[in-house]
Amino acid sequence: MTAMKQTILRTDQLQAFYVLDMQGAQKIVKAVNNVEMRIYENEIYGIAGESGCGKTTLLKTLFNDIVPPLRLVGGKIYYRIGSEEVDVTTLSPEEKRKLRMEYISYIPQGSMSVFNPVLKLKETYEDFVRSHVSGQSREAIFELAYKQILTLGLPRNILEVYPHQLSGGMRQRVTIALASLLQPRIMIGDEPTTALDVVVQRGVIQMLKDIQQNLQNTIILVTHDMGVHANIADRIGIMYAGKIVEEGTTGQIFSRPQHPYTRFLIDSLPRFGDKNMRSSVPGSPPSLADLPTGCPFHPRCPHAQDICTRQMPDFSHIDENHKVACWFVGEGHHGQVA
Amino acid sequence: MAFLKRYLIPRLIQYVLVVWLGITVVFLIPRLTPNDPVMAMIGMIRARGSTLEPGSMDGIIADLTEMYGLQGSWLDQYWAFWGRLFRGDFGVSFFQFPARVSDLIANAMPWTLGLLLTTTAISWVVGNIIGGLAGYYTRKGWSRTLDAIAMVVRPLPYYIFAFALLLLLAGFMRWFPITGGASLGAIPSFTWAYIKDVLWHAFLPALSLVVLGGAVNFQIMKLLVQNVNAESFVQYAKLGGVTEGRIVRKYVIRNALLPQITGLALSLGQIFSGALITEIVYGYPGLGMLLYNSIVRADYNLIMGITIFSIVGITTAILIVDLAYPLFDPRVRYY
Repeated sequence: MTAMKQTILRTDQLQAFYVLDMQGAQKIVKAVNNVEMRIYENEIYGIAGESGCGKTTLLKTLFNDIVPPLRLVGGKIYYRIGSEEVDVTTLSPEEKRKLRMEYISYIPQGSMSVFNPVLKLKETYEDFVRSHVSGQSREAIFELAYKQILTLGLPRNILEVYPHQLSGGMRQRVTIALASLLQPRIMIGDEPTTALDVVVQRGVIQMLKDIQQNLQNTIILVTHDMGVHANIADRIGIMYAGKIVEEGTTGQIFSRPQHPYTRFLIDSLPRFGDKNMRSSVPGSPPSLADLPTGCPFHPRCPHAQDICTRQMPDFSHIDENHKVACWFVGEGHHGQVA
Repeated sequence: MAFLKRYLIPRLIQYVLVVWLGITVVFLIPRLTPNDPVMAMIGMIRARGSTLEPGSMDGIIADLTEMYGLQGSWLDQYWAFWGRLFRGDFGVSFFQFPARVSDLIANAMPWTLGLLLTTTAISWVVGNIIGGLAGYYTRKGWSRTLDAIAMVVRPLPYYIFAFALLLLLAGFMRWFPITGGASLGAIPSFTWAYIKDVLWHAFLPALSLVVLGGAVNFQIMKLLVQNVNAESFVQYAKLGGVTEGRIVRKYVIRNALLPQITGLALSLGQIFSGALITEIVYGYPGLGMLLYNSIVRADYNLIMGITIFSIVGITTAILIVDLAYPLFDPRVRYY
């Protein structure tokens, strides 16, 4: 990671809350709370965290898909398109629609109902492509699709079938193929490997890596599976209660985790030869509608002190890539936690 | 080929069996009731005050028995019954004596088919399109307005609604005729004048059926669309930046229509029982009134005739839907 890397996506004090109206009483779920991110060209960025920590919402927000009840409360999202940075939150719906697939694409979980059940896959392809590229004949679109399908090593007849005739792994591969078809600069994946068995997971991860190598673009990947992150991500952001609490290169996160929460995550992973019980994070994640004061992790943190209950720490920079938000790490504090 | 052997042929056999069974029940039920239609007819003739010559009684009984197909054992009758059926002969009506049942049905059928085929088709198409759009654009003002209207219209008892239309537009405003399927004395022909006359008479009955039927389709379709809208494939298409027109047409409405296709086929099948209340309110000729009169007056042959049409109509409609369904939903396969 050199500092010379071009930023492709940047957020600035991003706050996206779900504003729910519960019989007159307003309930606010702070799913993305003051997130500052800088994602570079030509890298795979992983976002990790427990269920319910706001990962998927952060992804939706980065994808600029902010629809009620989700609301952008504060902050901005910038894409670097060509040579200029664009604040995409101010774009019109039509401009947002045009960016999708062409500039930034979305890889969903390849679940049973991810494709229209009454259309053959090639018809779905046609719809997606035609919505962005005008003036192409049907044959030209299919030609493009087949070429890509063969390059990715998928069977040629895969587009001739209906979605229910495919296995979960194949469906997942098709979602990835479709997402990369128009060679977008950014691809965003929401748990693309989660519903698959490990063997198929491996294939899907390899496919993502190959595509990234080929297009030299950026992939942002959300999953709770640390093993997947270890395999694919260049950098990882650890998310807790709507905030990024630690960010570093994959090596840094796995070998020198700093935040107590990250340590728990890493310590819970099984290791070869080690038969000890794995410890996990005590307690359960806080409700995003009713966050603890100060650092949201303090009720579960074994090192919590008074200050943790009162104030959220800023980031301490351990080096240019590694930053962590904990009172007891880095600059001018009581040294590192034991 | 597997489709033919494993699905189509068994399905056709089933179809024939259901029709056969239904018609057999229609044959049996009047014969299992304790009253004898021949004696009932004679009683009726007597009650009208006609005097019968004593010697002619046996002759009348024999004639009536033959006319109603009641001579011989049940098995003989059954054979004869099917024989006549295949010739399109449903016997003679008891009460519009000596009119033939097939003629009575043939007179009523065009009115019923003309009115109900049109209104069923219009209310299905219009109700589903508007309901589909309203379900997709739930937050829009026009969608809420239509929803409110449907909410008020749909629970109205059909009789009240039809009658109110009649009072208002025919009785009070005098825009439309009060009763009948065509003007008295009009001669059926393919002239514009006659067609116009028929359309003019059919307008109010059709309007009442389309509005209420359309409101039902609207509400069902709106709910179906709201469900489909939450499906991941619709969300995914939105995230893929597919244009809205495509999403509404090919992703949302097309999938929401699947259960409605079954509904359409069933309501088409039911056309053969007529639309009784419409016919009563608007004095419109048709199968409903004919069926009603035949039941009230125990006109077995006529009941049998109409019921047979109804049985064949509904089973055929279901058969067609079953066979056509894989065209609409590729997940349904018969092999």
